[in-house]
Amino acid sequence: MLSYLIRRLLLMALTLFGVSIVIFLLLRIVPGNIADILFDSAGLIDPAEKAKIVADLGLDLSIYQQYTQWIGGLLQGDLGYSYVSEKPVIEEIAPRIPITAQLAVMALIFSVVMGVPLGVISAVRQNTPLDYLLRITSLSGLSMPSFWLGLLILMACVHFFGTIPIYDRNPPTFWAWLAMMAVPAAAVGFRSSALIMRLTRSAMLEVLRHDFVRTARSKGLSERAVTYNHALRNALLPVVTIIGIEVAFLFGGLIVTETVFNIPGVARFLVEAIRWRDYPMVQNLVMFTATILVLINLIVDLIYMVIDPRIRYSE
Amino acid sequence: MSTTVSEARPSAPGFLSEVLYLSRRYPLGVAGALIMVTFVLCAIFADYVAPLDPFSTNARSSLAKPSEVNLLGADMMGRDVLSRIIHGARVSLAVAVGATVLGSGIGAAVGLACGYLGGWFDLIVQRVTEVMDALPLLVMALVITASLGPSLRNTIIAIAIPLVPHVARVIRSNVLALREMPFVEAAKATGMSEMRIAVVHVLPNTLAPLIVLATAQLGSTILTEASLSFLGLGVPEPYPSWGRMLSESAAEYVRTAPWLVIFPGLAISLVVFGSNLTGDALRDALDPRQHD
Amino acid sequence: MAALLGRMALACLVSAGMFAGSALAQKQGGILKVTHRDNPPSASIHEEATISTAMPFMAVFNNLVIFDPESSQNRPDRIVPDLATSWTTEDDGKRVVFKLREGVRWHDGKPFTSEDVKCTWDIVTGRVDGKMRKNPRKTWWWNVKEVTTNGPNEVTFQLGSPQPSLLVMLAGGFSPVYPCHVTGPQMRTNPIGTGPFKFVQFKQNEGIKLARNPDYWKPGKPYLDGIEYTIIPSRATAILALVAGRHDLTLTGELNPENAKEIQTQVPQMQCIVQPSNTQGNLLINRDKPPFDDERLRRALVLSIDRKAFSQILSRGVNKIGGAMLAPPEGIWGWSPEYMETVPGYGGDVEKSREEGRRIMQELGYGPDKMMPLKVSTRNVASYRDSSVILIDHLKSVYIQGELEVLDSSVWYAKMLKKDYAVGMNVQGTGIDDPDVQFFENYTCGSERNYTGYCNPELEKLYREQSRMTDFETRKKLVWDIDKKLQEDAARPVIYQSQGATCWWPHVKGLKLAVNSIYNHWRFDDVWLER
Repeated sequence: MLSYLIRRLLLMALTLFGVSIVIFLLLRIVPGNIADILFDSAGLIDPAEKAKIVADLGLDLSIYQQYTQWIGGLLQGDLGYSYVSEKPVIEEIAPRIPITAQLAVMALIFSVVMGVPLGVISAVRQNTPLDYLLRITSLSGLSMPSFWLGLLILMACVHFFGTIPIYDRNPPTFWAWLAMMAVPAAAVGFRSSALIMRLTRSAMLEVLRHDFVRTARSKGLSERAVTYNHALRNALLPVVTIIGIEVAFLFGGLIVTETVFNIPGVARFLVEAIRWRDYPMVQNLVMFTATILVLINLIVDLIYMVIDPRIRYSE
Repeated sequence: MSTTVSEARPSAPGFLSEVLYLSRRYPLGVAGALIMVTFVLCAIFADYVAPLDPFSTNARSSLAKPSEVNLLGADMMGRDVLSRIIHGARVSLAVAVGATVLGSGIGAAVGLACGYLGGWFDLIVQRVTEVMDALPLLVMALVITASLGPSLRNTIIAIAIPLVPHVARVIRSNVLALREMPFVEAAKATGMSEMRIAVVHVLPNTLAPLIVLATAQLGSTILTEASLSFLGLGVPEPYPSWGRMLSESAAEYVRTAPWLVIFPGLAISLVVFGSNLTGDALRDALDPRQHD
Repeated sequence: MAALLGRMALACLVSAGMFAGSALAQKQGGILKVTHRDNPPSASIHEEATISTAMPFMAVFNNLVIFDPESSQNRPDRIVPDLATSWTTEDDGKRVVFKLREGVRWHDGKPFTSEDVKCTWDIVTGRVDGKMRKNPRKTWWWNVKEVTTNGPNEVTFQLGSPQPSLLVMLAGGFSPVYPCHVTGPQMRTNPIGTGPFKFVQFKQNEGIKLARNPDYWKPGKPYLDGIEYTIIPSRATAILALVAGRHDLTLTGELNPENAKEIQTQVPQMQCIVQPSNTQGNLLINRDKPPFDDERLRRALVLSIDRKAFSQILSRGVNKIGGAMLAPPEGIWGWSPEYMETVPGYGGDVEKSREEGRRIMQELGYGPDKMMPLKVSTRNVASYRDSSVILIDHLKSVYIQGELEVLDSSVWYAKMLKKDYAVGMNVQGTGIDDPDVQFFENYTCGSERNYTGYCNPELEKLYREQSRMTDFETRKKLVWDIDKKLQEDAARPVIYQSQGATCWWPHVKGLKLAVNSIYNHWRFDDVWLER
């Protein structure tokens, strides 16, 4: 187990190193840099001034030098300065992370709380009208663009309540906070809940068929209840894996939802940073996201191993 | 489909009886296929199906309500929404098919090579795959379209690239499994070259999961393109893109012109829904392990 | 008797108190909440050209002189003292001497002196390196030869030639006085001024906070405790937030007339003003490369445009039609309707113009079956894209098949500079309704904002001539003629002059917008909240 863990951590480091190179290069081949954007907002380009900015920010150094500067700083905890706001990157990112994290966690909770029970019901009542209804609903959830869902929710809020959930930095009560976050979290989590529902359903069906057939002729209801628990636990395994994969999709949903609901989180900030060609911001944000993703995948794999000792990993 | 069932089919041949049979067995799948066929037909024959010109601006019809002239209303520039939706099918189809074929094609080739060549190549591709997995799809697509510039071609490329490692991984594990199979061993024993075995035996057997994967991806490529266009990157003017029709300009007029928000979103959802239904049915049909 | 006198005295006091009370209708206190659209690139007004920076941060500063807030039109004859208490022109107008206000302090407590004025204009004219990242209005000050001080309360601007527009340029929101002792980089993130509000906070992509300056040199003002701007990029969300009462005022000119109508149907008591924003949509035509190196093709292009349709689609007919200068009645220097009829392409009959355009194209060998392909470039911004779509539609009427090339903002100007385009759809704002500003910024050879490189030495002589004129009517005539020549030459054909809407709740009092510029009148020192 320990050797496995060490191996995974080393692989993680390697992966993150690869990520840093990819994002670094991608940004540099993007045409236009911060100087161009700054001048764009002023409506002119003065070559002398532009050259000065480029030199000030170290953009005229070789790619290799720029990279080592960044990575060297990163490993020491120095994330550099934003090109746009000229403040340390950490100062910009740190307050925004909790906001997105709250949204993401609530969305995940929503998707599990909605998806798993509905998936079980759908499996148990297989091929009934209820099952069909749930399947069509879940398929719609997978088919709707999450920003459209967000827009529709906003429209509904305006139509029925005359107002929209507006992000407030300091909500007065816990319930106010919940109300504020619940709507965008539902918009983000709807898609994931649909996926989890489908997965839970097919996994349950798989297990139910086995055990159902086996115990059909044996004891009585109590056995079936026991089988139920056993079935459910086994069915949850793929759900855990899906969470690992879904987190990556979730980020995309977070980006558009934060835009529609005007939530000042990290996802929307990343899009703005890309638009501004704020290299230090984008690079560090992407590294952060990648680290989270890789960590979550590692944790998911570990949980998987713990839950089901039959699974062994070999390369 | 077991042999007994096929023998029980009415011997009268014909497309119609085939369709009837399928619709009894896979009702949802056929419904999905119908949606997809409508979608493709709209895309191909958009010029004939659309009632009005999707590009011509008309000051007088600006933000017109749905009426006889504009069945689904008109946008801020007076362009007919229905015609734009029909022509938008063309864009969505182009992006979906283009990105899926490109991504799956390259992915399959890479996966095949990995499964066969193994060694260093395999190791490196594995690492690259992990790296790409750690980057969220939308972020990658955003950076790529930002770098290449917003255009139809670049959107296809941007969406295809993250697809490659995903497909490659599935194909690779499939190939590895297949290589151990007895009929491959047998082919090797009869002296067939590795290359021939790969093309003649292994490849056709990876086709089924590949098709299933591809149809599953079709839906998600359409959604990704919509998100990109919504964010302002992706397919630019004047191509009507469903995603872009939903972006800012639509949301502003939420009260006075809700049809601008409702119909393009409905179009996207319907097509993705159809592709998911079809994908599900295909998986049921082609993958014998899963049936309910 | 004493009791009677006492009662009379009491009555006098009470009535006196009542009069005094009604004069003090303005209430102290409250925080004004404003919706903002775009992240300001920085907090330094001198470095930026966008309303995103100008509106929020104008309240932090003072100018030497300012446009009279009581006059809704920014005019040369309605300029009042700000940090300068009086001024005189000497030496045939080549020297302007300002007497400065005493006892004014910067927000960090240091005293304001004439040195600060000198520092600001030395940096802005480029004489001294102020560590600014960019200097968009350097061309405004082409005529300022030197700024000298004479004691702490007097400063002199030495000009190369008389220039009535100098005061106009000093009176606009883009000409605040900066402190000597604060560096350029700090002014971008943490600006220090002498104005009614102190800078508190600027969170990227989130918002800006300003707080009341208790030591402001105008006693009793400002009335507000603070101003807060929240950045809401989605216009739909911003409108909803305003209507829900979460904000009091919108960023000026950012809404379109359609939005304003919608807001007023939901909230009938909302105050909305639709006014020229002094931004214009115009065409950048590359005269150095084919096809538009051919003057006939340029003409055909210009003849195909239906300006009324642009106005109708983009603004439901509210956008104005005019030349480079803002049209009357809001604009001071724009053509009269009679004069405008004489300018080619501006006449009422669009079909006739298009026929002529088609004739020209046919002479050149094009026709309905042989359309000329053309790439129309534009920025990836909604207003630019919308205008381009309409343009392409119009080009069809003269056998030009346009294809849209959408460029990311970061590459737009680089491409323009490299002249790597045929025609580009451009939207630009003008800081002040003044011909010196308009001509020298955009139409002189070698100016950075002259993207097309249009160079006409004859006309430049005329720019300088009108710059020297002191009689308004004669100057206006010359400006009209210059504007007409610019349109005839297709230097930068103006397609429309935008109107923008600003909305606020009726409890916001004391707001006075300018009709011929969105960049002025944002001190907020007269604004108060009625609650």
